[in-house]
Amino acid sequence: MKLARRTPYHANYWLATSWLVLLLVVGLLAPWLLLPYPAATPDLLHMATPPSPLHYLGTDPLGRDVLAGLVAGAQRLVLLSLPAVGLATLVGAIAGSAAGFWGNKQLRLPLASAGWLLAAGWWLATLPARAAVVSILLVISILFSWLSSRQAVGSSRRTFPLPLDSLVLGATALLGAVPRLILLVALAAGPPLSFVQLLSLLALVAWPETARLVRAQMLRVRVQPFMEAARASGLPAWHIWLHHALPHACLPLFSFAPLTLAGLVGLENTLAFLGIGQAPDQVSWGSMLTTVRQDPNAWWVVAAPGLALLCTLLALQHLAQALNKRFNAG
Amino acid sequence: MRYYWLGSLLASLTSACSTASPERVQETTPIHIRWANDPVALDPLAIPNQNASDAASLLHLGLLQVDYQANVYAPALAERLPGVQLIGDSLMRLDYQLRPAATWDDGRPVLATDVDFTLKLIQCPGLPYEVARTQFSFIRQLLPDPTNPRHFTLVCRGQGRELINTSGDFPILPENALDAQHTLRPLPLAMLQGWHPDKAPPAVVAALVSRYKQANSARYPSHLPGCGPYRLAEWVHNRHLLFQRKAHWWADDLRPAPFVLQARAQLLDYIIMPDDAAAVLALRRRELDVFPRMPASLFQRLQTSAAARKELAFYTNPSYDLISVGFNTRRALLNNKLTRQALGRLLDPAGLLTATQLGQGSLTVGLVPPDSQFYNDSLPALAYDPTQTLALLHQAGWQKQSNGSWYHSIIAQPLALTLRYRSDESAFATIALQFQAAAAKLGIPVKVLPLEASALTVALKAGDFDMYIRTIKGTPFGFNFSPLLHTNAIGMDNFTGFGRPATDQLLEDISIEGNLPRKRRLLRHFQVLIREEMPLVPLFYLANRLSASRQLRPIIASGLKPGYASGALSWASGSANVAIP
Repeated sequence: MKLARRTPYHANYWLATSWLVLLLVVGLLAPWLLLPYPAATPDLLHMATPPSPLHYLGTDPLGRDVLAGLVAGAQRLVLLSLPAVGLATLVGAIAGSAAGFWGNKQLRLPLASAGWLLAAGWWLATLPARAAVVSILLVISILFSWLSSRQAVGSSRRTFPLPLDSLVLGATALLGAVPRLILLVALAAGPPLSFVQLLSLLALVAWPETARLVRAQMLRVRVQPFMEAARASGLPAWHIWLHHALPHACLPLFSFAPLTLAGLVGLENTLAFLGIGQAPDQVSWGSMLTTVRQDPNAWWVVAAPGLALLCTLLALQHLAQALNKRFNAG
Repeated sequence: MRYYWLGSLLASLTSACSTASPERVQETTPIHIRWANDPVALDPLAIPNQNASDAASLLHLGLLQVDYQANVYAPALAERLPGVQLIGDSLMRLDYQLRPAATWDDGRPVLATDVDFTLKLIQCPGLPYEVARTQFSFIRQLLPDPTNPRHFTLVCRGQGRELINTSGDFPILPENALDAQHTLRPLPLAMLQGWHPDKAPPAVVAALVSRYKQANSARYPSHLPGCGPYRLAEWVHNRHLLFQRKAHWWADDLRPAPFVLQARAQLLDYIIMPDDAAAVLALRRRELDVFPRMPASLFQRLQTSAAARKELAFYTNPSYDLISVGFNTRRALLNNKLTRQALGRLLDPAGLLTATQLGQGSLTVGLVPPDSQFYNDSLPALAYDPTQTLALLHQAGWQKQSNGSWYHSIIAQPLALTLRYRSDESAFATIALQFQAAAAKLGIPVKVLPLEASALTVALKAGDFDMYIRTIKGTPFGFNFSPLLHTNAIGMDNFTGFGRPATDQLLEDISIEGNLPRKRRLLRHFQVLIREEMPLVPLFYLANRLSASRQLRPIIASGLKPGYASGALSWASGSANVAIP
């Protein structure tokens, strides 16, 4: 499988990229930018004031500086949405490619490791979900499988097929059955979430689409002649999966990741707009947009964050289209 | 010519249509009133919020009710204000006479036995009436008049003026409907008041409690007949509550009808709209007729709109609602008054009043309204003073670390705080952000945690906070701060956990003191004590802002909750618009 013929980038691509690079730079340098006001500090003497030399983009009805809020929103995008996309892409790529590669019958685990897997499942289902405990049980299970495969004698040779494809498809169908926003609202309702909790939630709702895409691509890749050749040469399955199948199956992610990011940015700002799971000191574009309900005449509260959000979503769309054309043209 | 006549006819029809008077309302058209949240439960003796209290006052009546026109207590079920007889220096007898016309819906008269039953029901162990139990524990006995079933005397502990008002401010419930066998009559009220919570209640009480709980009057108010003017016709949770005027209400025959016993509207429809902006939109679209407790910015915006002024009338009164910030004095890092004083000086009451209320309201030095004769004007107003904060923190034993944080070597804790408040109040968010920013400048991290109202109450009762922001509801009728600051109220409304035997005694003395000069002295001392101990920081009293349709008769607005006299609400007869001065 080879890369498609390279096509020149359109001017829109450079515009979109410039905007995204600007956001990235602003987001990364936010703590060091010399802004006249911190994002979450109210100016009690200037509540909901229009743009002026004092507050270049005005203040919202909580007295927060809109310009500082824009920068905080960019920082949130860089520190929250971007890592969430990375995490979702990583999880989705691994899960989807593994499901597509091994299917339901080809990944066989030693029978003895089933106990550890069941223990992890039982713990997850019935006891307080301690991620650390479940992870340890899973690691033990994997180690046990590996050791068993190396030193297998007698009854330890017995294996069972892990229905990986069904498990991944089932999980994606389960998460996909509920609209993402509703799922996220249900999970985020209650006290404000910590940064890590919110990041994990965003990744949780975003990985199924990536997994489905990569799985579909893997189904095409695994029947390619070079895969047959790799198998024939006697390479271990995990080696073929990691070094030969996975890179090809993940090619569509170059154009899909920006779309996932656009989705998560929209989702995160929608949550902030609805005021779910976020305190007022966590300033984002969505949380600034929502304050217009307190003063519907404050157009500047909508204009700047709304424009920033619109430009970002459009830029990500353009980037995705351009990358798609570049990698899939012809 | 035919076309000329046809044209003329069309022209006159068109002009008739265009000049038709604005949409007229009928007497039976519901009056739509905005509520920000659902009342949750309508048990008249366990009121969870102000909306539930408003609803209970439509369904039930007390001996005395607030007259919103004069802002005084006036006789309702009682024929007149009680006669007062002071006994010694600590007891008081209140002589009540019930109105002969007062009856239940089934025609039975309202009698002293109903009052006695209600007082005992409040004290029944096993019923969730802890607040009412504390509030009415000063009524020790009801002495019936053997010759007149409508006449009785309440024996009260204390002689405070506010006790007279409080003695009649609870809904009277029908004994026959709830205890047809009169099983509570033989039990003395004092015995129920002194019943130890761990001891099993008497069998008759247990049976009554069981029956009462089964009736679930909190959810089904119709199971608990009242003698108020309305019945609940419909309750769709989080949507609306529709109250329908009783066709034959006993007070209709009273001539002249006292103001507190007026109920003009046929239908009162309380629409639940949590969002202020949506409620304003509904008001402009005539889907709402009354919008009480309107936020300052929206109120000002409507007032400056010529179109809105044509349709709406505006009312403003000083209210008795106080926004305050409280400290959890049970926490090790906040049990030192110097620490609390230091943190209190990071709040900017004057700036916050301007920012959140557009300056409408009044700053205060304590829990007494500034216009009260008991206000301690010798105390300086609390002001934002970070320099003083630093000095006080050092005095309290806090030491600044090299990383900028504060640490107390004795309690071995860093100074880091959580601040909780109700998420639906934008003013609270501004206060929280102001405090957080001021604290951050000094290196004190503050985590702000907005919560939904009921979740906040649970967190506050459980003591799961360092600081909170909330509105304290006050009245001009009395100064009973025991529910807020008495040690007996810890776990209930005393969220700060503040209290010592000496302060408890002071609160009790204030609530029962009848002598005005002595009461003034006690209250001034109390304000000094609160400033010194600072279990809470009173920021400012709010103004009550109300906007209503001009199609209604002029509203009797009041600084008291709910901000208007619901009994006086009615459509203006004859015209669609009524001129409001």
